Amino acid sequence: MKKIIIFTLAFCLLLSFGVAVEADSLDGELIIDAYTSDPAPRAAMNEMVETFQEMHPDLDIELNITAHEDFKHAIRTWLASDTPPDVFTWFAGERAEYFVRNNLIRDITHIWEEEGLFDLYAEGYQRESIFDDKAYFLPHQTYIWGVFYNQEIFADLGLEEPETWDELIEVNETLKENDITPFTIGSRYEWTTAGWFDHLNIRINGFDFHQEFVTGEVPMTDDRVVKVFEKWKELIESDYFIEYPASYSWHEALEYMEDDEAAMYLMGSFIHDSATDELSEKLSFFPFPAIEKSPTAVEAPIDGYMMPVHAQNVEAGEEFLRFAASVEGQQNWVEDVGRVVPNPNVPEESYDEETLRERELIDGAEGIAQFLDRDMEEDFAITMMGYLVEFWENPEHYMDILERLEDERQFHFEQ
Amino acid sequence: MKRDKFFSPWLFLILPLLLYAIWVVIPAFYTFFLSLTRYDGLLSPEFIGLANYERLFSHDTFYISLLNNLRWVVVFLIVPVTMGLFLAILLSKKIPGARLFKALIYSPMVLAPVVIGLIWTWIYSPRSGLLNHTLTLVGLQTLTRGWLSDPDIAIYAIIFAGVWRHTGYVMLIYLAGLTSIPPDLIEAARIDGASAWQRFRHIIFPLLKPTTTIVIVITMIESLRSFDFVNIMTDGGPFRQTEVLANFMYKEAFARYNMGYGASIAVILFLIMVIFIFIYVIQRREEYGGGEKVV
Repeated sequence: MKKIIIFTLAFCLLLSFGVAVEADSLDGELIIDAYTSDPAPRAAMNEMVETFQEMHPDLDIELNITAHEDFKHAIRTWLASDTPPDVFTWFAGERAEYFVRNNLIRDITHIWEEEGLFDLYAEGYQRESIFDDKAYFLPHQTYIWGVFYNQEIFADLGLEEPETWDELIEVNETLKENDITPFTIGSRYEWTTAGWFDHLNIRINGFDFHQEFVTGEVPMTDDRVVKVFEKWKELIESDYFIEYPASYSWHEALEYMEDDEAAMYLMGSFIHDSATDELSEKLSFFPFPAIEKSPTAVEAPIDGYMMPVHAQNVEAGEEFLRFAASVEGQQNWVEDVGRVVPNPNVPEESYDEETLRERELIDGAEGIAQFLDRDMEEDFAITMMGYLVEFWENPEHYMDILERLEDERQFHFEQ
Repeated sequence: MKRDKFFSPWLFLILPLLLYAIWVVIPAFYTFFLSLTRYDGLLSPEFIGLANYERLFSHDTFYISLLNNLRWVVVFLIVPVTMGLFLAILLSKKIPGARLFKALIYSPMVLAPVVIGLIWTWIYSPRSGLLNHTLTLVGLQTLTRGWLSDPDIAIYAIIFAGVWRHTGYVMLIYLAGLTSIPPDLIEAARIDGASAWQRFRHIIFPLLKPTTTIVIVITMIESLRSFDFVNIMTDGGPFRQTEVLANFMYKEAFARYNMGYGASIAVILFLIMVIFIFIYVIQRREEYGGGEKVV
């Protein structure tokens, strides 16, 4: 009898040991699909996965990196198939919600709870990751939009970063007097105009109104929307922008800044990747000035991870998400790519001066806008951006343009 | 023996026919089917009858695109065809440097349209482009403009880049056509005292008729499927003013994920093209009585 008990105990011990070992070392295949195809993000992604691999040597990790636009097409097919990836990179906000609405995404609320992310991550990140009180998205990195300006020109003319609308107009006037175009913009691919719309709308009508606007429920002829275009018209008609913006792609328009012919660009912080080193060093940024609302909301598109409902290796996938939420899983994106990450425990020393300022703005924001074509249904956002370019060309016809845009809105959202 | 004659062609054809079915015929029918559905590439297609076509025929972008395609056809039929014919006749003469000119004029054809589109985008750039720069140098400042951002002229600026490429192609086809005209016919006409114009008008041009048919059909199809130049140079902008059917279709299907709607544009584009392909096939039949000879 004793023997049997000892035997059983030993067996149980062995069993529990076996289980313990299993929990520590994940195995099987983990498939991660990513769109981080530019050189710096690609290297950071590889490094991140290598670190994870070292932690779980028995795991067979397959990382597939696809070019950004191709990824956007392909992921739809993959998600609808029976063998989707276990983890994939995606965009926060409406684009994430679209897949969630179609029941393609795994609920990861328990990961958020266990890793304490509800307390750790700033409010703005949570608003873009949680749908119907359940977390589906793991925010991983972001970058801010703001007015990037040439510090040298500002210093030479004794200008300071404007904080209000009137100060901005003053800066613009001083620049014009000195034969410098205040703003450059390249709108051949239309989306850059949406940055202006977003910022004007958020500063004039507030973040909550902007959130309502992007659901498509606000008529384009609503007084508040009209007001945005009236303000915007002032800027265009005062010649605060370069000539023929629709002739240039966004980075071709950078030439104006490289040759000191223009001083400012409303753009994402990825402007540094396309600017020459010389210009990049001269660049600094300020948040879009307050108009009627103080600048407490920011525009910062968030990238992160999601798991398909039919993920094969759930255990390993979830472990990867936990890793991606940790300091180790985020730090190299700050140091190597210059991104801002949601985990506040990533030390300040990892950031440079400018990105640290970005982080403060993002963590303190009442809300983080994701950019018009990520916040709004993409199909309609593309239509709307076409009208924004038309408005830019013919600002005096803004009411007519808004009325036609309203027809499009009704067609799209009420069909 | 007889059985062999019947079976062996089919035996040889079976593989190409199979591949053709898989890659062309079945997808074509699938496109027809998709055009009757709402499909976002994510969930399965949902049958909605002719709703896509109803929307298409009331969508102003469709008419803008159609009109722009028409502009392509008209300009393409006039400019590169006449210029190509003229150059072919000129360069078929034994003039010094003819080979060099032929090579030069044909050379844009060697470049991918995407590359040509990029080059012309640079030429048209209002800030640092060759065109505005040259105009300023020769004192024609008033003519400078944003060639690709001016809604009234952007489409013609794009078509011009297409013309630059297509002219060499037309020239080459006509050059080939000219070699098939027996030189003694022209010689005889010359001896009979026909002038250069009379020789062209009454001998060369009529004998070039089959070549002209090919040129026109190719030009038509080429201008209807114009996609690359538009996509690279303006992507249909500013505000849809340079949109053409192919790019419109592409954007609906792959940027907006309205696959069903995109398919309906494809079907319309296909039907328009079928008209020209039919004309072409009938022409060939008449000329060779049964299509024994291939181009």
